[in-house]
Amino acid sequence: MRFTASALLACGAALLGGCGHTPGYPPNPILRPTAVTDFATLYSQNCAACHGANGQNGPSIDLANPEYQALVDDATLRKWISGGMPGTEMPAFAESQGGMLTDAQVNALIAGMRRQWSRPDAFGGTAPPAYAQTAVGDPHRGEASYEAHCAICHAATHEQGHEQVTSPMYLALVGDQALRTIMIAGRPDIGQPDWRHDGPGGKAGVPLSTQDVDDIGTYLASLRTMGQQVTTGTSSAQAKSAAPAGR
Amino acid sequence: MPRVSPPHGQEPVRGGPGTAKRVYAWFEQRLQLEGPVKDAALHPVPRSTASWWYVFGSAAFTLLLLQIVTGVLLALVYVPSAGEAWSSLNVLNHQIPLGWFLRALHGWGSNFMVAIVLIHMAQVFLFGAYKFPRELTWILGVFLLLMTLGMAFTGQVLRFDQDAYWGLGIGASILSRVPFIGGGLVHLLLGGPIIAGATLSRFFALHVFIIPGALLVFALLHIWMVLKLGINDWPMPGRLVRRATYMEEYNRLAHEDGIPFIPGAFWKDLAFSGAILAAVAVCAYVLGPFGPSGQPDPSIIQTVPKPDFFFLWIYTVLSYLPPEMETPFILIAPLIGIAILLAIPFWAGEGEKSWHRRPVAVLAVSTIAICFAVLTQLGTSTPWSPHMSAWSGDPIPVRYLQTATPLVRQGAVVFQAKQCRNCHSIGGAGGERGPALDDVATRMTLDQMRFKVVSGGGNMPAYGKNLSAAEIEALVSFLETLHPANEPPAYDASRRAVDESRSQPNAGAPPANPAANRGTNP
Repeated sequence: MRFTASALLACGAALLGGCGHTPGYPPNPILRPTAVTDFATLYSQNCAACHGANGQNGPSIDLANPEYQALVDDATLRKWISGGMPGTEMPAFAESQGGMLTDAQVNALIAGMRRQWSRPDAFGGTAPPAYAQTAVGDPHRGEASYEAHCAICHAATHEQGHEQVTSPMYLALVGDQALRTIMIAGRPDIGQPDWRHDGPGGKAGVPLSTQDVDDIGTYLASLRTMGQQVTTGTSSAQAKSAAPAGR
Repeated sequence: MPRVSPPHGQEPVRGGPGTAKRVYAWFEQRLQLEGPVKDAALHPVPRSTASWWYVFGSAAFTLLLLQIVTGVLLALVYVPSAGEAWSSLNVLNHQIPLGWFLRALHGWGSNFMVAIVLIHMAQVFLFGAYKFPRELTWILGVFLLLMTLGMAFTGQVLRFDQDAYWGLGIGASILSRVPFIGGGLVHLLLGGPIIAGATLSRFFALHVFIIPGALLVFALLHIWMVLKLGINDWPMPGRLVRRATYMEEYNRLAHEDGIPFIPGAFWKDLAFSGAILAAVAVCAYVLGPFGPSGQPDPSIIQTVPKPDFFFLWIYTVLSYLPPEMETPFILIAPLIGIAILLAIPFWAGEGEKSWHRRPVAVLAVSTIAICFAVLTQLGTSTPWSPHMSAWSGDPIPVRYLQTATPLVRQGAVVFQAKQCRNCHSIGGAGGERGPALDDVATRMTLDQMRFKVVSGGGNMPAYGKNLSAAEIEALVSFLETLHPANEPPAYDASRRAVDESRSQPNAGAPPANPAANRGTNP
């Protein structure tokens, strides 16, 4: 009897205080929202909705793509997170820009992405085209490059024609830099190849040069401009029916 | 009847049982408690009262004792100051051995106590136990209920976190609506015009001294009357209560078909109270203490404060009431409710006790219980409230994007970025203020969705001026993909006819893909 009582007491003490796996043990004190610097928390609260739960399979670019991580430097990432990305729906997150994140939190996001999704030698020794477009491309040459490298999937005549990215409606929502980034780094989560594999069957052929990327970017930008000329001052329905004309 | 223990014939051995008896006799000679205690313990009660239905009152008292013991232990560490209360709760949770368990016992004890008191009250009401001569016992019980709720509210305030802060703000604004003296009442409650240091001191005094003191006195009086007036006999249909004859009938029942209170009826009380304490301990161990949630700082706006479980129904009622009804409801309804509770024993002090012949009573209790449950459930899910962090926190379910076109993907981005999700859920995450959109395309055609987004309608605001043409088209393209795989999207028959007449070579053949007839597609 005495043994049973002691055993029960010992078990009770072990359950309540002894081990760290007590189910009811409270979580750590809740930090002020501006004091949270845990990457997983910050990412899931601010980024996951558009960029996907684990940095992929979201509607926006997959941040978990090592090539993307290698392509974009810290200062640029900080600029996009803090101030938003012009021409896209990416909003400004820094307190200084009207968002809710402190500079330390923006830095924690960048450091966390690097830690989690960066991979050494992501480009396999090949130098990618420059991240930012520095020269003005040729839209005519760009159209030809588009037909050669992109149209296999994104052709207007393709049976999956709605995969096309030349719709002014689409282009109006995607900035030049965002398009360029996808051309270079690809989106492995949805099967979009990178600059080395853009081409028939996604096979490694002649990689896109910086010139090609400049040209295609300029070509797509020109389509956007044409679409805007058509849609300005029109209702959405009119704009919709005018969209094919923009191509 | 005072009695003195008889002297002992046997010389006690020092330190043995004899010494204990002599010590006991020394005290008893002075206190003379044995007689009254024995009278109370052994007084006869009707055999029918030794029922499992009669255990809730004693369980409520046991929980009160648990709350006193755990409350005293908590008060040893808790700092009732606005600057340190929150931290001292975290000290209890994380730095003091078993401090978290103590908080959990007190928190769960509070929830159990409110629940048991309500069950006790419903049982007493349904068993007609408030009728003659137990009217005052019922009335004290009504005040005990109010004090228990008062303890629950003040306790929630002492857990000085965001929920407490905003709960207090709502309590103060309710008080402020009292005509003429509202401002003065708020000042009295908060110790000033705002929630500050004095507020917590006041609630500490209320929670630790004033209400518990009154609660204990009322509870002891309540029990005193139960002992003096006897436990309510089991209600039998047709056995009516009459003032002239009830006492005599009850005494005859207690003596002719009675058993001593202890152990006859008391063991069930003990067993149930033990079970309730065990249940509190299990809940405390498994589910842990309540909060504290975030710091009580009004500059932190990323918060969704909610009252504790037993006030969720009020939260729901206040959310659903039209604004012009709020003040009358929150000021008049409680008074009417309390007045009805106090009037019940005078209004129906005699007559039938059995629930078999009191359909109105049964219906009233059932209605209140169902309303309480429904309102509490609604309070838990807050369907009236936008889910403010959904747009940046909840990912779009991957299955909705697997075959998405670039434009549809951009539509999903617009859907998130323009915070449609604050009110509309998809994939089970998001607000419930508007309908869930997982299968919106089966309910609305593309044109209807476009019109709804642009012009609003019903509860939905018009977004035509907040979205560009491209954003609207991308958004409705995304929405049009939201339908089950085996169910095609809704399609306008007249549009189909027009589309078919345009594509003459294939006239008569329905389009393979309705989307293919839209402008964005070739």
